[in-house]
Amino acid sequence: MAELLVQTGLNALYAAAYMSLIAVGLVLIFGVMGIINFAHGELFMLGAYVVVALYADFQVPYVLVAALGLVFVGCVGVAMEWAMFRRLRDNPLGGLVASIGFLMILQALVSMGFGVRMAHVPPVTQEVIIFSERVRLPVQRLIVILAAIGFLTALWAFLTKTRFGWALRASAQDQEAAALQGISINQTAGIAMFIGASLAGIAGALTAPLISVNPHMGHSVIVAAFIVIIVGGVGSLEGAVLAAVIYAFVHTFVTTFADGVIADVVGLLLMLVVLIIKPTGLFGTADRA
Amino acid sequence: MLLEMKRASVNYGSVSAIRDISLAVPEGGIVTIIGGNGAGKTTTLRAISGLARVGAGEIHFNGERIDKLSVDKIVGRGIAHVPEGRRVFPDLTVEENLRTGAFLRRDKPAVEADLESVYGRFSRLRERRKQLAKTMSGGEQQMLAIGRALMSKPKLLLLDEPSMGLAPVIVEDIARIIEEIKGQGVPVVLVEQNAELALDLADYAYVLETGTLALEGPAAELHDNAHVRAAYLGV
Ligand SMILES: Nc1ncnc2c1ncn2[C@@H]1O[C@H](COP(=O)(O)OP(=O)(O)OP(=O)(O)O)[C@@H](O)[C@H]1O
Ligand SMILES: [Mg+2]
Repeated sequence: MAELLVQTGLNALYAAAYMSLIAVGLVLIFGVMGIINFAHGELFMLGAYVVVALYADFQVPYVLVAALGLVFVGCVGVAMEWAMFRRLRDNPLGGLVASIGFLMILQALVSMGFGVRMAHVPPVTQEVIIFSERVRLPVQRLIVILAAIGFLTALWAFLTKTRFGWALRASAQDQEAAALQGISINQTAGIAMFIGASLAGIAGALTAPLISVNPHMGHSVIVAAFIVIIVGGVGSLEGAVLAAVIYAFVHTFVTTFADGVIADVVGLLLMLVVLIIKPTGLFGTADRA
Repeated sequence: MLLEMKRASVNYGSVSAIRDISLAVPEGGIVTIIGGNGAGKTTTLRAISGLARVGAGEIHFNGERIDKLSVDKIVGRGIAHVPEGRRVFPDLTVEENLRTGAFLRRDKPAVEADLESVYGRFSRLRERRKQLAKTMSGGEQQMLAIGRALMSKPKLLLLDEPSMGLAPVIVEDIARIIEEIKGQGVPVVLVEQNAELALDLADYAYVLETGTLALEGPAAELHDNAHVRAAYLGV
């Protein structure tokens, strides 16, 4: 029993790792631009398909592919900002609708290019760290956990220690006052989109060898990500990380000890309970909720 | 003239906020804009810094037309705007707030020196440099907002109701600071509902009423003007 708990804990940690990468990007984009990026799950999907295209089909070294996935999806994010969100800046509903349209375009393009069936990604590493008979951690999962810690730490350092990091936080807190400091919203929105999209892309690229890669894989991720950012408090990056961890643990444990459908229901209940007890989310403040 | 607004009008949708406003700010003085609620004072400042778009008319700064530039470009030209309600960044620390004021500056050593001089002027800010701005009192937040604006090393400072909601002793502090800023050669456009304070500090004054210019003249003259005394000074 103890072993099962530890094993489930490790599984949850892995889920928490890639969920936080996705949720943090979503929160960052919402914070700076006021737009709910419904296409975020599809950016995750694109990251996975970069691996399908380059690693599975052309055997480009995996590390290089992951880096390319990060940069490529980041650039797709910048293009989204420029082509859609910038033009719809005073129109949050328009931004939301545009992101839903873009989500469908991405799904259609990927389906046309790669087919709608599950794509096969050969394992990058077969190695498994064996703690005991029933506690094992595949190295690919460890890579996801370590990468998430690394990227989130880097993001935190960027936001708190650099000039553009302050600019991003300032824009998220008061866009007009930020403009009065000479901070261009076009610039901060572009940076936020690049970071948010590239984190979703790297999450997709890192998990691709572990999950079923298909054009609709963004769905389940985006639902979970929304629960996470609502639980965490819509404007809060720390809240998003903490809520991703809480959600991943609850979801993984319920899946293991009951089943996946019940886990989805429990996840939604978790969100409801938080909304009833603290409508702004665990870390949220009223003005952003 | 450092700044010239020529027959500027601003509309919010179909609502006209200011009409046909002309004003001029010379080098090194304090110009004040007074007027009642909704007279268009804030809108006038917002037009200068680019937050509001002028529908008609022109604004020139240092000989260059600026009314079509984006806000960050206008800030880059040397106009710092302390907005109504202070608008400090609530979840940044005091020091981070001050540093965002220097966002466009590349002269690092000078930025550090200016940070020191802001701390020298506002010792409360130095004591609280690591504190989040939202935990500061109203007066401290006003000092922070002014300090943040000074960090951009402005050629012109726009202040929107710096005395709003502050206790009389704090208002005196703010008045002293505005005079010091003028003393250092930075011209100030001061918007105030506190006409007594504004006319005391300013060299030249404009009176706005329902979006149009009602009166203008040297501050001392307006101070003695019968209409101004009755309408704004309550005597
Ligand atoms: N965002 C806006 N949308 C619509 N109308 C606005 C907006 N901002 C200001 N106005 C209108 O423009 C007019 C001028 O407002 P403004 O804020 O410039 O006045 P003010 O002189 O600064 O007043 P106060 O002393 O109360 O701050 C008012 O009639 C106001 O209702
Ligand atoms: Mg006003």
